Amino acid sequence: MSARPAVRPPAPWAFPVPEEHRLPNGVRLLVHDLPGQYVLSMRVVVPSSLATEDPELEGISSMTARLLDEGTAEHSPEEFAELMERHGMALGAGVSDGGLLVDLDVPQAHLPTAARLVTEALATPVFPEPEVRRILRSRLAEIEQERASAAHRAAREVARTMWDPADRASRPAAGSAETIGRITREAVAEHHALRVGPRGATVVLAGDLSGIDPLSVLDATLGQWEAPRQVPAPPPLAPVPAADRARVVVVDRPGSVQTEIAVACPGPDRSTPFGWAPHPVASFVVGGSPNARVDAVLREEKGYTYGIRSAFRPRVAGGSFVTSGSVRSEVTGEAVGLLLGILDDARDGFTAAELRSGVDFVSKTAPGRYATADAVADETAALALEGLPLDFTTRNLAAVAGLALEDLDAAYRRAATGEWTVVLVGDAESVLPAVEGRLPGPVSTVAL
Amino acid sequence: MPLDYPVHRRTLDNGLRVVVSPDHTVPNVTVNLWVGVGSRHEEAGRTGFAHLFEHLMFQGSRGVRSGEHFEALMAEGGRLNATTWFDRTNYFETVPTGALELALWLEADRHGHLLDALTQENLDNQRDVVKEEKRQRYDNQPYGTALIDVYAAVFPEGHPYHHPTIGSMADLDAASLEDVHAFFRRYYAPDNTVLTLCGDIAPEEGFTLVERYFGGLTARAEERRPDLPQLEPLTAPVRVERREKVPNDRLHVAFRLPVDGTDELVAATVALDCLAGLSSSRLVRRFVRREQSATGAHATAWGFVDGVSLGFVVIDAAPDADTDALEAGLVEELERLAQEGPTEAELEASIAQAERAWLSALASQEERADLLSRYLLLHDDPDVVNTHLDRVRAVTAERVVEATRRWLRPESRAVVAFLDDAEGAEAVA
Repeated sequence: MSARPAVRPPAPWAFPVPEEHRLPNGVRLLVHDLPGQYVLSMRVVVPSSLATEDPELEGISSMTARLLDEGTAEHSPEEFAELMERHGMALGAGVSDGGLLVDLDVPQAHLPTAARLVTEALATPVFPEPEVRRILRSRLAEIEQERASAAHRAAREVARTMWDPADRASRPAAGSAETIGRITREAVAEHHALRVGPRGATVVLAGDLSGIDPLSVLDATLGQWEAPRQVPAPPPLAPVPAADRARVVVVDRPGSVQTEIAVACPGPDRSTPFGWAPHPVASFVVGGSPNARVDAVLREEKGYTYGIRSAFRPRVAGGSFVTSGSVRSEVTGEAVGLLLGILDDARDGFTAAELRSGVDFVSKTAPGRYATADAVADETAALALEGLPLDFTTRNLAAVAGLALEDLDAAYRRAATGEWTVVLVGDAESVLPAVEGRLPGPVSTVAL
Repeated sequence: MPLDYPVHRRTLDNGLRVVVSPDHTVPNVTVNLWVGVGSRHEEAGRTGFAHLFEHLMFQGSRGVRSGEHFEALMAEGGRLNATTWFDRTNYFETVPTGALELALWLEADRHGHLLDALTQENLDNQRDVVKEEKRQRYDNQPYGTALIDVYAAVFPEGHPYHHPTIGSMADLDAASLEDVHAFFRRYYAPDNTVLTLCGDIAPEEGFTLVERYFGGLTARAEERRPDLPQLEPLTAPVRVERREKVPNDRLHVAFRLPVDGTDELVAATVALDCLAGLSSSRLVRRFVRREQSATGAHATAWGFVDGVSLGFVVIDAAPDADTDALEAGLVEELERLAQEGPTEAELEASIAQAERAWLSALASQEERADLLSRYLLLHDDPDVVNTHLDRVRAVTAERVVEATRRWLRPESRAVVAFLDDAEGAEAVA
């Protein structure tokens, strides 16, 4: 057996900088020519705020997004679906706290048709009554699916507990059964007229553009998109944390063989004045791999879980730090106790070796994480929606490389104040006695 | 557009088959190994073994301590994992070019010398972890065990695909250190393994490095049985009904299909697309859009090599819908497809979607490496990455009709129905 080989340092690398243009209607266009990426990725982002939704009709932004390709002035829903598929398109649309995101993947040769159909979907959807009813019904079915999934159910309860009840972020982005039940075709059409338009929008196109003139294709399509009644989106605001968020909520899921655990607290967005760089490093060291602090104990030493992961989750404004995973029911009490201990102890500081491993992982994986048109388009679209400069990704990596232990410790302590929102989705009959007296803060139980 | 991803191949003296596919657009190399062992090789009473073994490959080897494989590669910017499937086990990492030799050294150490470091403690710990994986992915999920029922319903007792990769809790409990030793000696050998390097590496340099780290491993894989002959379609419908607390009724309608790597499987896949694989498919138009008796309909085809593949349609029933009517509607559409064949638009849509999916997979260095290993190990032809789309584009309406009439006959279906029953959970087979 040969000796363990030495590693040569990686070559310098930078996130690709797009060419920036303006379409005739003022839409910002960002183009990445990536040779060898034969499937083009297009993203369209339109800033908007879920907080402006009528509280009675929450979810209307999501429902509008889902209905964009269900019938346009030019094509019936079935014709549209067939046209997209015959041209190899995969089209999706959804909303985040920052706005509408439309994503399209399409083989190079079909770009002109794809750009025309995306423009139709954004500019002239007609929201046929039967399709509106169908999409609302499928959201109701989806709500039941999410309730039945322990991980989804935990995420919903975390939002409900951690954010102030008056804040939109405390409720599901795609709406509840009550609000979905009130949405009408007219409300969707009105929402579209006021909130979906070229104003403030950015189009990102990434992929192998040899032999294509993207500017003339997009000038003639998305560049002609108009929405005279569109109102500008208000600036995004970070969600307000709930005053009583430091508590334990057990969601009763009778018969569960595992308990889904989620431990969360508010966190920063990527434009935090303290700098974003330490956050992905800290979450990697705490719970980003099988060797991180959490799984070194709960998976590799104890064998209680398949894996528990920590991540800072930035929103357009504000964010959260969430640690989640599942353990077998019998060990719930001990596992949650150990997990909170690990998360709290990390406030005492990280080691130099941990800093090194986290910095190396985050910075050296970047070229591979951004190697496809899809990933590049996603990141550039995220930068656009978050209002970050186009060199943010590269500058952040440089900041990661230069992190000191104090930066890492300070960033973790700022977020992880010890005021944890703890959600346990499992069989309450066995979970409750196991956690009683073991966890800080009051414990309450809610139905599934 | 003809594809021309470079494919350079060589076989070491110990039987290790190697492919190098240079791509210098990113300063990374993907190392991807496929070992010719999956759950299809497991014996009764030893199910779940290939997968449990995959976990043990991260617990240290002759020169590597437990957990160090992950730790050492991640600290160099490696992204890595391993998976187990019916036909094979794969191990892969994508590393900055300068860490390629470290990756090869670590892989060679565990693929050649795992047993030096294996302990009862590691086995017990990873057995627990795998049991949690089973609980998380199967037992604690709504419909989580549906595919396990599908495999058992479609494939006969004793057939390699009758049981799932995750295995059973009882068999996992029964695994002993001796079993693990025997398993390693039987399957983990260079002459039962392929290795692909895809990325920032020249062919000769790649072959030299693989020879340097893997050349010393000894050929010793046991003689393999040939793959089983093609399993014919079911001759009478099979039905499994589960009454559980699920959000909505769900039907899985499954079929035996021709083996992987055949024109017939490609044609059968197009037929499934026409049925439910596209948003313009017949069942989507009928159940989801027009009747609104279902909230979703999807179709999947998985190519396997051991005598049969698997195709299935999944239908999510709307709250007040009658699942018998849904099943009857599916049978009608199958018969219609067999009679009339696909429309020109359906054929075109299926081919265009297959094309985008294939190109998207190849766009990622990791997935390209995985496909090269797949076709090298299972078909001894890595160049399929470049030729597969020619086969897809050559499908005609006649071939789709033939495949539908032979493989998707209504009487050849196995139905696994998950029906909502808030009161309890009992099986009615």
